[in-house]
Amino acid sequence: MATVPVFSSGGLKTFVGNPPENPTSPSISRPLSYRSLRISAAKTSPKLTGRNLRVVVVGGGPAGGSAAEVLAKGGIETYVIERKLDNCKPCGGAIPLCMVDEFDLPLDIIDRRVTKMKMISPSNVAVDIGRTLKPDEYIGMLRREVLDAYLRERAAGAGATVINGLFTKMDLPADNGSPYTIHYNEFTGVGGVGEKRTMEVDAVIGADGANSRVAKSIGAGDYDYAIAFQERIRIPEDKMVYYEDLAEMYVGDDVSPDFYGWVFPKCDHVAVGTGTVTHKGEIKKFQSATRLRAKDKILGGKIIRVEAHPIPEHPRPKRVAGRVALVGDAAGYVTKCSGEGIYFAAKSGRMCAEALVEGSEMGKRMVEEGDLRKYLEKWDKQYWSTYKVLDILQKVFYRSNPAREAFVEMCADEYVQKMTFDSYLYKRVVPGNPLEDLKLAINTIGSLVRANALRNEMNKISV
Amino acid sequence: MALFSPPNLQNLSAFSAKPISLLKPQLLLLSKKPNFSLVLPRATENGGGMVGSAAPEEKLDKKEEASTPDLGKKEEALGMNGTAAAALKFQNPRWVGGTWDLKQFSKDGKTNWDAVIDAEARRRKWLEDNPESSNNEDPILFDTSIIPWWAWMKRFHLPEAELLNGRAAMIGFFTAYLVDSLTGVGLVDQMGNFFCKTLLFVAVVGVLLIRKNEDIDSLKKLFEETTLYDKQWQAAWKDESTSSLKKD
Repeated sequence: MATVPVFSSGGLKTFVGNPPENPTSPSISRPLSYRSLRISAAKTSPKLTGRNLRVVVVGGGPAGGSAAEVLAKGGIETYVIERKLDNCKPCGGAIPLCMVDEFDLPLDIIDRRVTKMKMISPSNVAVDIGRTLKPDEYIGMLRREVLDAYLRERAAGAGATVINGLFTKMDLPADNGSPYTIHYNEFTGVGGVGEKRTMEVDAVIGADGANSRVAKSIGAGDYDYAIAFQERIRIPEDKMVYYEDLAEMYVGDDVSPDFYGWVFPKCDHVAVGTGTVTHKGEIKKFQSATRLRAKDKILGGKIIRVEAHPIPEHPRPKRVAGRVALVGDAAGYVTKCSGEGIYFAAKSGRMCAEALVEGSEMGKRMVEEGDLRKYLEKWDKQYWSTYKVLDILQKVFYRSNPAREAFVEMCADEYVQKMTFDSYLYKRVVPGNPLEDLKLAINTIGSLVRANALRNEMNKISV
Repeated sequence: MALFSPPNLQNLSAFSAKPISLLKPQLLLLSKKPNFSLVLPRATENGGGMVGSAAPEEKLDKKEEASTPDLGKKEEALGMNGTAAAALKFQNPRWVGGTWDLKQFSKDGKTNWDAVIDAEARRRKWLEDNPESSNNEDPILFDTSIIPWWAWMKRFHLPEAELLNGRAAMIGFFTAYLVDSLTGVGLVDQMGNFFCKTLLFVAVVGVLLIRKNEDIDSLKKLFEETTLYDKQWQAAWKDESTSSLKKD
């Protein structure tokens, strides 16, 4: 324990941003549980002497990279542990336009600018969405290895230490002030399992993805996950022209019972894939159905890689425990319906790091669970509604083939497209035009009723 | 290779809990639809190979730059040709250029919408059993909204309308009687009362939603489904905030 508790009032600044709701009443009268959750730790947290706060970020993806950058800039001694520095992850790789600005990304890491999106219904009705996009608007498609490396390098530039190693486990501290002991294998040079190392840190950010070991070591609980299966297919030049700036989404019971199948353009090939939660065992069948539905457009293609990956369906029961916080996929921040995760991972990493920097007053002070809870609070406040809306959309429109037909019909509407792209590209909800909203609601219900009526008729045929 | 094997093992165990059972559905599929038979060899091969798929995946990783993926080639030869042979196209003399040729549906100078609905239902049924490749040269143009609303009404609502109207009238009359006897507010006055209007609305919606007893169950299930996600999100706040707080 290198820390010396200092209780002098002069050096202590409580968080002015979050005062207790009723400042006049003495805090003792509050229930204990309330205090541990809300009241900031700054009053009691000791100042660090001789060193700054040490934080390890486990995982060097978008979440870890952006967290480490903020931490390092905030005067915190930062370590990033990443097991594979050139990891090509199985990932759609789509980022919204606002991420480029918010994270100051260079434009040359974007491989493709998708401006057209095609939705294809179970009965093969194809609808172009993206006609409302302005000339400078697009969905960026990038390779994860490029983005991850870029963010990590920037973090390293800001002062973070990037370690090529595999996090194995961590020992939880006995009391509030003592450090966490991190065990990891550091890979030095060629081959082998690496050297076993340990390090002592004051706080941990778990950004190690869906199979998070950090989450396991704090008993964060599990989440349901979808499995995403993807084949990278190199298709002939003349076929590739079509996918120049276009992505396709296929919906239907054949493709996936609860998600969609996709064809996304990559740097020099396309990624064809599908996902499901409920019928994981049949993923191969869904994949061949997806390939069949896109057959004419990818004919003559060669499969160059096959990938599969779990995608979280909802947040873990615990996202913060002690001085450990989970971000990105490890926490479970992937949206339903669209399955988007990169932006939310990077955002959550940044938000968590900001909470640590603020809580430690630029690395000068010890942090407590309360500081990390602030990140959780802010996150839920800002994004919960986004996740909920997408969850509702998925439940309403991906539940059956008639619903999917109605979904595609709905997407043909320009107003829907505009709203969808505005909220996707800029991650903000613009209040719509009430008259248009009403029209949309009536049209959608009409589509749903028609499609379901047809479904009833189809059921009669089989009998 | 050894560097990556621990996490990969974990990956695999997470999402392929029962790799063997992968084969079953496909075998079933085969027995039912012979035209899928060409897809199957590749699918089974993949399915069986799922246990070991991490290893080739990593190998391919490295080869990507070299662009000589012999493993991919083999798969392609099987997969692409297989699906090509399996595909069937929906064909019907009245289905012309991606839509129903309405001229062929005319009866006494008017379009027989009932027949259009029948034909479309049959087509969708067929497509569900034989998913078809989407094609840019040959787009589907048929849109169910071209069928006028009254055709749908006549076909799907009228048979039930008698029953629903009768039910709504009975419930309405009984409620009006009940409210009158309890409060002394007459039928005419009830019409101007907000509370009574709300009751009326609830009765109508209820009659529309609950048509059969099973509907109650499915509504209950729907409610559980809609609240599940909220619960999953709020789990992070559960233990601390049982007493006073709710996440806003």
